[in-house]
Amino acid sequence: MPVDFYWRMAMEGDQPSLRRKGIVSRGGFTPGAVGGLAPGLRNGKLDGYSHVDYLAEVAKATEASGFVGALLPSFPHTDDPWAAAAALARETSTYRFMIAFQPGFLHPVQAARMTASLQLATGGRTVYNVISGGGGPQQLWWGDKVEHDDRYVRTSEFLDVLRGVWYATDHSYDHEGRFYRVRGGGLPPALAGQPFPEVFFTGSSKAAIAAAGRHADYYLSWLEPLSSLTAKFEQVREHSAGIGRSPRFAVRLDVLARETEEEAWQEVERGWVRPGPAATPAYVGLGDSVGWQRGQDLGSGGNGSRGGYRALEISPNVWGGFHVLRAGPAFGLVGDYRQVAARLDELIALGAEAFVLGGVPHLEEAYRVGAHVLPLLRGAAVR
Amino acid sequence: MRPEFHLTLPVEDGASVFPALPGFVTDVRPGAAGPYERLARIGRAAELAGMGGVLAPFDPAGQDSLIVAGGLLRGSRHMRVAAEFHAGIATPVYAAKLSASLQRFSGDRLDWRLAVDLDPRVARSQGDFVEGAERYARAEEFLTVARGVWHEEDYGFAGRFYEVLGGGLLFPLSGRAFPRVQLSGTSADAMALSARHADLHVFGPEDDLDAAIAELGALAAQMGRSPAYGLRLPLLAREDDDEARRDALRLWLLRSGARETFPEPERATRLWHGFGRPGLVGSYENVAAAIRGYLDRGVSAFFLEVEPHLEETYRLGEHLLPLLAKEIHNAG
Ligand SMILES: Cc1cc2nc3c(=O)[nH]c(=O)nc-3n(C[C@H](O)[C@H](O)[C@H](O)COP(=O)(O)O)c2cc1C
Repeated sequence: MPVDFYWRMAMEGDQPSLRRKGIVSRGGFTPGAVGGLAPGLRNGKLDGYSHVDYLAEVAKATEASGFVGALLPSFPHTDDPWAAAAALARETSTYRFMIAFQPGFLHPVQAARMTASLQLATGGRTVYNVISGGGGPQQLWWGDKVEHDDRYVRTSEFLDVLRGVWYATDHSYDHEGRFYRVRGGGLPPALAGQPFPEVFFTGSSKAAIAAAGRHADYYLSWLEPLSSLTAKFEQVREHSAGIGRSPRFAVRLDVLARETEEEAWQEVERGWVRPGPAATPAYVGLGDSVGWQRGQDLGSGGNGSRGGYRALEISPNVWGGFHVLRAGPAFGLVGDYRQVAARLDELIALGAEAFVLGGVPHLEEAYRVGAHVLPLLRGAAVR
Repeated sequence: MRPEFHLTLPVEDGASVFPALPGFVTDVRPGAAGPYERLARIGRAAELAGMGGVLAPFDPAGQDSLIVAGGLLRGSRHMRVAAEFHAGIATPVYAAKLSASLQRFSGDRLDWRLAVDLDPRVARSQGDFVEGAERYARAEEFLTVARGVWHEEDYGFAGRFYEVLGGGLLFPLSGRAFPRVQLSGTSADAMALSARHADLHVFGPEDDLDAAIAELGALAAQMGRSPAYGLRLPLLAREDDDEARRDALRLWLLRSGARETFPEPERATRLWHGFGRPGLVGSYENVAAAIRGYLDRGVSAFFLEVEPHLEETYRLGEHLLPLLAKEIHNAG
């Protein structure tokens, strides 16, 4: 069974390392940061480069390191994944753009048109990360008032319409739904006939799992301790089997891998003890996301000051404090190259057929993980 | 006002540009060697030819203008790229967010061309059921909200079409230039919308230009605004009038017009009515003179429509634009 390794594109800008939590030095996100890159300073003036110039470097590093592509997340404070994919389409050749987007902000017909154009531009390298939003102030920021479970109803209808338009010929697609209406829709010949992107579906709630059953090629989860991840996958498997479907599983996690385990934990410690707020914006925790809450309940839930970082090592190498050191979810792997590879093999044995790995800074760590971790993988053979 | 020349892109060039090779011929082109690649080359042609920009029109039969704009901005340094879309494609917040990234990536070179009047059948095929005057009401809200989240912190809006609470782009997505807004149309609704929102209002050569410019100028002045004026302009320029006429005839026949019904280019205005809409045909000098005529009437941006795009764009850069160098480089 082939396993697809994706990397992550830091749409929120990149830190120089996990030691510098909350200092986003790449991509212009920290005003006046000394040592900022893309844009940087040259003779006292901005050098004319921008975030996209750095993203291009990360994309090429990712491509060269053995990853099939990357997940491009989308939050209020990030650059936009469609914009980045459109910009970088022609600067990459095998890199797949896994675009995170929330149905509800884009009309599904427009999503179909943008996707098909991007498929033309990339030769079919577009992948979807369908997200349904974390609720709370963040949802209202986007101008979206729809409640948690209804968002998944909308997501479902959105994907139905998107597929309907994608495969319709001769303006034959009609739809009258709760959220969308289309009459005489369908992609024009100039855009039609291309592969429909693979769908990576996220969400941990009941509503999410119900919707995932119908639409997911991959059910994508943040890393959790293996026992709870096993239970979650089982739940999805069961629900999907009930409607005659069997999605594959994918796991999103950060890895902090070094030559020795000690070195890896030192890296954590240096960031942990440095004063400063947690790197993940506060609004991220204020919504209705079941998945986020699971991570917080299982991990620390707090910031770096409480308890020792090592207490968050829930099982060997599985660490639940990443959100303190960089923006994003809590769980990831910390260890030496061999240990991290072994833990990934365990996830493969558990049924994972795709990964979205991440590491800070995304450029250097892509090279490192490609050179030192991926080659050690043995796959399901470890069983 | 400094004149600007923009190339209108063929977003619907069809896959036919690159016919498939016979099966026994090794073809190593990735899927990317298609119409998008062609557009990228045309975009580079406009950039190298020194044009001020390109327009990716909204065309239901063609590629998506925002995706095309993202690629062409990345592939250029100087020119502006206008993406035409209608308000039904996305929420104004999302349109603003995506555009803020394009502005960051390109050094603020994105224009929006908002298509308001759509054939109702086309609109419905795009999932857009808003009709008539309502379309202008929505466009008004769309631009208001987009500017609101762009320029303000803690932005709130509750209208008929959109609602936002605690919105507003965050640093560093905030603080860039809002995309230059291009609008068009001559109806009272269109003029009223432009008076409030257009940075550039685009007419056609078929419009009563002097009257329209006077009307919009007066309306906008009441709001303390002064939009620039643009013109859609099909164009065919050659070394002399005879050659231009010969190629116009060739184009006419190609589009299955009959030799007997060929409309002669008007001698006084250089306008030719064979493009589908009026446009200029003539020698480089005569076309340049006609363009100077429009400049004198207050038009400063020209959205040129030429075919074949790549070849004609190089031609314009080498033969027509140099004749207007004085206007382009010396204008105040
Ligand atoms: C792997 C993964 C990636 C996600 N990426 C994003 C993202 O880029 N932007 C976003 O707003 N939410 C993202 N989310 C969060 C989802 O929008 C949603 O809040 C989350 O899946 C919780 O849904 P639930 O309440 O059904 O668990 C992501 C979630 C997962 C699991």
